[in-house]
Amino acid sequence: MDLSAKSKWILVIFSAAAGFINGFLGGGGGVIIVALLLAVVKLHQKYSQATALLAVLPLTVVSAAVYLFRGNVDWIPTLWTTLGVVAGGVVGALLLSKLKGNVVKIIFALVLIAGGIKMFF
Amino acid sequence: MQTFLLILFGFLSGIVGGMGMGGGTVLVPLLSFLDLPQKTIQAINLIGFLPMCCIALIFHAKNKLLKKDHIWWMIVPAVALAVIGALVADKASNQALRYCFAVFLSAVGLWQLIVAIRFIISEKKSSARSEDKSSDDTADKK
Repeated sequence: MDLSAKSKWILVIFSAAAGFINGFLGGGGGVIIVALLLAVVKLHQKYSQATALLAVLPLTVVSAAVYLFRGNVDWIPTLWTTLGVVAGGVVGALLLSKLKGNVVKIIFALVLIAGGIKMFF
Repeated sequence: MQTFLLILFGFLSGIVGGMGMGGGTVLVPLLSFLDLPQKTIQAINLIGFLPMCCIALIFHAKNKLLKKDHIWWMIVPAVALAVIGALVADKASNQALRYCFAVFLSAVGLWQLIVAIRFIISEKKSSARSEDKSSDDTADKK
């Protein structure tokens, strides 16, 4: 599918915002990338979620490199957490087909709001 | 105890991440329960994401779910601004980063909630319409 010049500008501007957020907050850029793939590139949900990982990987690599070179990485907690993330990732990938999409989305949204409120205090 | 919690929090956010729903947005608030500076938490989130992302991409490539058209329009500006974002974060205080993350998280949560509720309402409306149509068809046949 060809994109209009306007759509390309939308991709550039919002992807730049996603990159800045990912570097500044250490994550969160993927949510914007998924939304862009859905709304501008017109991919279906599962293609958007999968392709977003491809876009988020390089910007996470460069963000992580900056954090590393500026001395913000504490390797012991990082390695333990990464171990858990990888194990959980496999379980999540297996669970995906067994759960109802909207129920998961609402639970996820409520967890985010609760997390946001908690972080204010 | 902290090691157990680190693995547990990583595991829980990994489940969400493995479902392709942004595990990082769950991991950061969970790790904020532990006594860690915000910049360390953000670095854990970035580095922890990398191996899981690589594994997931291998699966997605095998399942032909990756659509690479137009992706460079996204990657190039995102990578450039990610470097700037990470450098700005280095200069910012841990407290300021924590508040910024809290605002971002609440906004994304609210947005996702609205999208999910809208989708449920539109699904119910379309199923009610198809039920009406099938009952009309049955009445016509009689």
